[in-house]
Amino acid sequence: MAWLVIAVFLAASGASAAPGLPAKPAKLTMAVVAGGETKGLKAILPMWEREMGVKVDLVEFPYPTLYEKLVTAFQANAATFDLLIADDPWMPKFGSEGWLVPLDTTFGYARDADIFPVVYDLGSWPPPRGPVPPGEQAKPRRLYAITLVGNVEFLMYRKDLVAAPKTWADVVANAKKVHDPKKPMFGFVIRGAKGNPVISEFTPVLLSYGARIFDDSWKVVLNSKEAVAALTFFAKELKQYAPPGVENYDAAERAREVATGRAAQGFIWPAEITDIVENPSVSKVVGKMGYTLAPAGPGGKRAPLMGNWLLAIPKGSKNQRWAYEFILWATSAKVQPAYATGGGIPFRKSVLMSADMNKKFPFFRAMADSLSAPAEWRPRTSEWFAVEAILGTHVNAALAGLETPEQAIQRAAAEIEKHMREAGYYK
Amino acid sequence: MLAALVAYPLVYNIGLSLRNYRTGQFVGLHNFARAFDDRLFADSLRATGVYVTAALAVEIVLGLALALLVHRTIRSGWARTLIYLLFIVPMVTPPVAAGVIARLIYTPTYGVLNAVLRAAGLPGGETLWLSRSDTAMFAVVSVDVWQWMPFVFLVCFAGLQAVPQDAAEAAMVDGAGGWRLFRHIEFPYLSSLLLLVLIFRFTDTFRVFDHVLVLTGGGPGATTEFLSVYLYRIAFKFFNLGYAAALSLFVLVVASLAFAVLSRYLGREVTE
Repeated sequence: MAWLVIAVFLAASGASAAPGLPAKPAKLTMAVVAGGETKGLKAILPMWEREMGVKVDLVEFPYPTLYEKLVTAFQANAATFDLLIADDPWMPKFGSEGWLVPLDTTFGYARDADIFPVVYDLGSWPPPRGPVPPGEQAKPRRLYAITLVGNVEFLMYRKDLVAAPKTWADVVANAKKVHDPKKPMFGFVIRGAKGNPVISEFTPVLLSYGARIFDDSWKVVLNSKEAVAALTFFAKELKQYAPPGVENYDAAERAREVATGRAAQGFIWPAEITDIVENPSVSKVVGKMGYTLAPAGPGGKRAPLMGNWLLAIPKGSKNQRWAYEFILWATSAKVQPAYATGGGIPFRKSVLMSADMNKKFPFFRAMADSLSAPAEWRPRTSEWFAVEAILGTHVNAALAGLETPEQAIQRAAAEIEKHMREAGYYK
Repeated sequence: MLAALVAYPLVYNIGLSLRNYRTGQFVGLHNFARAFDDRLFADSLRATGVYVTAALAVEIVLGLALALLVHRTIRSGWARTLIYLLFIVPMVTPPVAAGVIARLIYTPTYGVLNAVLRAAGLPGGETLWLSRSDTAMFAVVSVDVWQWMPFVFLVCFAGLQAVPQDAAEAAMVDGAGGWRLFRHIEFPYLSSLLLLVLIFRFTDTFRVFDHVLVLTGGGPGATTEFLSVYLYRIAFKFFNLGYAAALSLFVLVVASLAFAVLSRYLGREVTE
């Protein structure tokens, strides 16, 4: 009889891993972007499976396809995915459509002081700062997602040649000092290709000059003397220290110029550092690079740009509780060091500011400074991609000398306003 | 089956073009009328016109000239086979890969083209190919020519094989030079094929997309933002599906009209 009781007890305890958790699902299915963003995630998955006994299947899609697949699955409320990672500019669409499970009201997620407040702001909808899209203002704010990839843009410089620049004036002084196209050595490399690349590069300059694209009621305020000054600086002053042809440079070209020792300064995203700039098998500048916060504009404002990938649970998931358990586990202080060592881009203060970690990953400190600046996000609207396409065309034209900075700003502002009007942002 | 594959998407597209993409409201021809007021659309149309004209002219003249040259001068079977094989390679290269290769050729600092120009001591070794509107247009057209001139060559070359050898020889005995031989003996065998080539190449170049997106992304500014690239921006950046559907119908109508006009000529050629 005693054996029977023990057997029943063992069988019952095997059904759930922890108190309060439902029975283990056969697996969790997670939609992710194909590429380096999931390196850290892949490194920690075996740990999770060992600890929890639940398999996680990663379904990888190229960047544009992932968005389309997610939207299609959400519209059908399909149980295709239990978890997903989403680029932060997708949050306005996902948040306003109500496609995700709120983590605070559903599971009682408690905020952690080891996580930068901006991370929670980014995963919340409606956004706690800046303009809120029409029809969204009255909704209660909920936390829908937590960062997995703590991407943020900051500045890199050759610390063996120049000092860490604090302002754009310092950047120009550094560039002047080392710029010699005959060597060749270029003072500043610009990722200037049309669309998203040039906008990722120009936004920190634009904002640091005190300009904005929208005011708090979505009125387009881009056509300002600050914006023209920012674009004149970017397309004229900074460009004279850039390699020829940067109008068509994307991330790969930029990282190549730096890694081959031909450029002394430039913006950078973390994944490009581990993959190329500090990768001894492809880079000539390992150990020679310094990393610092985005430079301040004339008024002293710094504007590092965020590009986080966020973990979230779609409403259609049949395994929401276990998906939440995974989010807690993957973003925990216990797992983050293994995630970082495995090639992931972490986001916790304790990891980014640890002296040990900074020895191995010399850019973590700059990431921590950028996230606590706090980093800026793209305007929280599902129309952002249109805005980026419009502005990205004109900034690229200004960089190529096809439009003057004044023309580029004026035309972009007029086209953005026309688009926002059609999108129903003005009465 | 045909209805499901062709008619349904077309009808669905027409339905989309008549509605406001956000509200789903019926708006009549508003999306079409909007195109007349769209400066960017006019720019993309102009750029497409330049692209189509340049690509077609170069491909047809060069393809035909090469076909004549090989037909008249190379007799060896294996040499001809080698030429076919070489000419098939560009045609089977995916356009995206062609765009990537071209990017590596035209990049000003470490690109192959500038390196070759500099090494040969020729001018232009410092050209920023993809940063100026004229040279960026040249670059995207050159990829099209590289990929599709061989198609013109192969079709024309096949056509030339049908020219009766004795007729050509008789003409030469009568003292006909290269041009007269072409005009009076060879061209009649090629004219209907050239029309066919024109139809295929026109509809293809009019819808050009892949390699442009990779090579210039439509830049610098909007100078290589051809109709399909602009349409892509309207559909997948602006998510204005109503307007995108209207523009895509425009592309369909122009391509179909060109097809109809050219195939009328083709019909006449064949019956003559």
